[in-house]
Amino acid sequence: MAAYIVKRLLAMIPTLLGITLLTFLIIKLAPGNPVSLKMQGGEGLKAGQVSQEATDQMLKLYGLKVDLPPEYEAWIGRWTERIHGSDPKDPPHFTRRALKWLGENAIQYKIWITGLAQLDFGRSFKDRRPVLTKIAEALPITLTLNLIEIFLVYFISVPLGVYSALHRESILDKVIMVLLFILYSLPDFWVATLLLMYFAGGDHLNWFPLMGFMSEGAQTYPFWMKLGNIAWHLILPVTVMVYGSFAFLSRFSRANMLEVIRQDYVRTAMAKGLPRRKVIWRHAFRNSLIPLITIMGALLPALLGGSVIIEQIFSIPGMGKLGFESVLARDYPTIMAISTISAVLTLLSLLLADLAYVWVDPRITFRARQE
Amino acid sequence: MELSHSKKYPFRLIAALLCSLILSACAVEAPKDPSTLLFSLSAEPDTLNRLTATDAYEGTVNGFIFDALIERDNRTLEYKPKLATQWEVSDDKLTYTFHLRNDVKWHDGKPFTADDVIYTFQQITNEKVDAGPLRNYYKDIKNAEKLDDYTVRFTYAIPYFKALEFVGGIPVIPKHVFDDGQDFNNHPAGRRPIGTGPFKFKEWNTNKNIVLERNEAYWDKEKFPDYRRVLFKIIPDSTIVLQVLKKGELDVANLRPIQWVRQTLGEGFNNRFARHQYYLPGYRYIGWNQQRPNAPFFKDKKVRQALSHLVNRQDIVNKLEFGLAKLTNGPFWVFGYEYNRKLPQILFDPAKAKLLLEEAGWSDRDNDGIREKDGVKFEFTFLIPAGSASANRLATILKKDLEDAGISMQIQSMEWAAFVNRLNAKDFDAVTLGWTGSIDEDPYQIWHSSQIEKGSNYTGFKNEEADRIMEEARTVFDKERRTQLYNRFHEIIYDEQPYTFLYTGASLLARDRRFKNVQVYKLGVDFLEWKVAQ
Repeated sequence: MAAYIVKRLLAMIPTLLGITLLTFLIIKLAPGNPVSLKMQGGEGLKAGQVSQEATDQMLKLYGLKVDLPPEYEAWIGRWTERIHGSDPKDPPHFTRRALKWLGENAIQYKIWITGLAQLDFGRSFKDRRPVLTKIAEALPITLTLNLIEIFLVYFISVPLGVYSALHRESILDKVIMVLLFILYSLPDFWVATLLLMYFAGGDHLNWFPLMGFMSEGAQTYPFWMKLGNIAWHLILPVTVMVYGSFAFLSRFSRANMLEVIRQDYVRTAMAKGLPRRKVIWRHAFRNSLIPLITIMGALLPALLGGSVIIEQIFSIPGMGKLGFESVLARDYPTIMAISTISAVLTLLSLLLADLAYVWVDPRITFRARQE
Repeated sequence: MELSHSKKYPFRLIAALLCSLILSACAVEAPKDPSTLLFSLSAEPDTLNRLTATDAYEGTVNGFIFDALIERDNRTLEYKPKLATQWEVSDDKLTYTFHLRNDVKWHDGKPFTADDVIYTFQQITNEKVDAGPLRNYYKDIKNAEKLDDYTVRFTYAIPYFKALEFVGGIPVIPKHVFDDGQDFNNHPAGRRPIGTGPFKFKEWNTNKNIVLERNEAYWDKEKFPDYRRVLFKIIPDSTIVLQVLKKGELDVANLRPIQWVRQTLGEGFNNRFARHQYYLPGYRYIGWNQQRPNAPFFKDKKVRQALSHLVNRQDIVNKLEFGLAKLTNGPFWVFGYEYNRKLPQILFDPAKAKLLLEEAGWSDRDNDGIREKDGVKFEFTFLIPAGSASANRLATILKKDLEDAGISMQIQSMEWAAFVNRLNAKDFDAVTLGWTGSIDEDPYQIWHSSQIEKGSNYTGFKNEEADRIMEEARTVFDKERRTQLYNRFHEIIYDEQPYTFLYTGASLLARDRRFKNVQVYKLGVDFLEWKVAQ
């Protein structure tokens, strides 16, 4: 088993390199760059004097304009000449520009990956703070939200699904289904705004706070008070995050349960005279969980990702907002750091899911996997 | 019996937990301090380093922390002394000498001197400093010298009527703090600024709030603030901002037009909050790109005039801004001296537009509903920023009206960074955007033909007389003469219609009535003069 894990971990390195390289190139290919955004002074134009010279200086400062080694420049010259013939008056724009772009970005990627090797993700272009600090601020908030969400979603959906499967086609099964699909189709930004207006605004009920993760000055509260304060703040956002996810998961576990319950061994167990409860929970339910593991594989990276809409409406500074704003601002170091970390987590959780299969299902072995 | 108990029990438990949670949370909510001005920001400033900042939020916060050398009087908009007690401009308008106050201290107790001003200038012009956008304003300054500890002199290479505004408004930073060998761009003082102003920086809770405290040793006794603290809350969603205000957790909120006409009218609201509106320099427009080979029609003045008659501006103002905007027909502030008020508004007049289009040779010869000339169809793409709901609605209204006049328009919306890219590359047919203006406007950078290549003259406007006027006006220090020149310039722009000028939107504000002495000036309110009612 240890050998298998080591092998899998080693195989991750080239995959990860490939992911980061592709991400890097895609980000750089996207139109727009942080410098021209800064020169325009953010959203809504200012009448300021934008000059090419100043733009170039800033590009250099941000490491977005690098000097190519003269050998490479000469090499580009030779290649464009070979492809397009040697007419100096008609510079073949595309080939030259493409090769130049590739060269410049290769150098920038090399600088980035050297930093990564020392776990240095660099500084954000936006506010010039270390990227890791920014992630360290946003991550605990998003983790808290997501852990609560996932726990609630599983805790409610799976039993609902099992119940529906055991009482298939009953009225309650249908009612549950309709209800869950209604919830599923309510847009979250709308529900979020309504909840805030009716339960937190000053106009109707005033039960919950309007914004934020904890009250101002709550950092100094004793532990339980602090926890209560955070919970009080999170009730509405978690409600909005959770209600739409019931439908999929409960349908999923209902289908799994139905499949298992029709199996011969369940019938055998019943016929043997085992108590119904024992058959369902011990034999059927455990086996119906196996397909859930496949979904669990996506859990780890999902823990990291935040919802832009919910964070925006509830003024919660989590990962969703950080990622979204970095993309809008073309904050390359931050985008790269977030996507690298989630790539690592995705790869790890795929491995974990594979290990979990072996653990849950005796028919799957490491030997079979290796072959 | 037992069954029903076990069924009810969890519900009771949860209810009890919830109640205690809410009660405990309410109980620990800090009481509101009447001596704090509660403000909201829709996003966090990237930095509070005045030289490297590029967003508007930095100015809002630092406006409380720093003083300028000279500042405009709220009523007259003329300059008056602040950190500089007096200033002299040489006869050739090239040297500006400032005499600084000698009793001003930075918040850390060190004296403010000429060295700070000179250091600031050196940093702005230093290529290693990430101050590109700011540096542009100071590139015509040849030299900055310290005459003595409290006198500085700036020498311009060319005379320029806005020079006093730029040198007098130089964002002075403390030399003794920044000049300590650390990298300027990443200097920690950029996140805890030290100024000379009425408020001291206290703390910045990233993505939550920024707290300022009154500078008890503030030198300017006339402007000594009445309240003790300023708290900026970061609230990204404008709907929530109004909710937070109503709940009493904000003192000031910017309103959107829809909130002004629909959500802030009740008596209850009115008893607690007052509302103010004013118009800042700036305008929204549609720009017709004259340098597009595939859209040759925009080169023709008559076509552009026709297009302006096809834009139903009053309807747009009513629908998009709920009437809370002023129509404008030129590149200056509607309340500015440069604005030529003799020019009438261009009215929505499809009949006249069609006439102009026919005169220009654009008519529908093949009866397909689209006009053409020399084999070119009158078709173009309208580029709008995706984030802007109002641009989106404007485009929809425009598309319909143009269609009725035989012009086919496609709408393309793009995310802001990509949009800016297209704009800089002049890769668009027509575009809608806004410009933020200033009190003394210099139209050179948007309209001079030299700015087509690398400046902000995105639509490729070129007019020889206009070029001459703009060049001359830059060196004219007499306001009356400049008024004449710019009035004429406005006429040319009005005739040429390189843009269809739309309107200047109102700035809308709601504030808590516990503040007294609130004046609304041409440029808005001055928070520093507000008093807290006891």
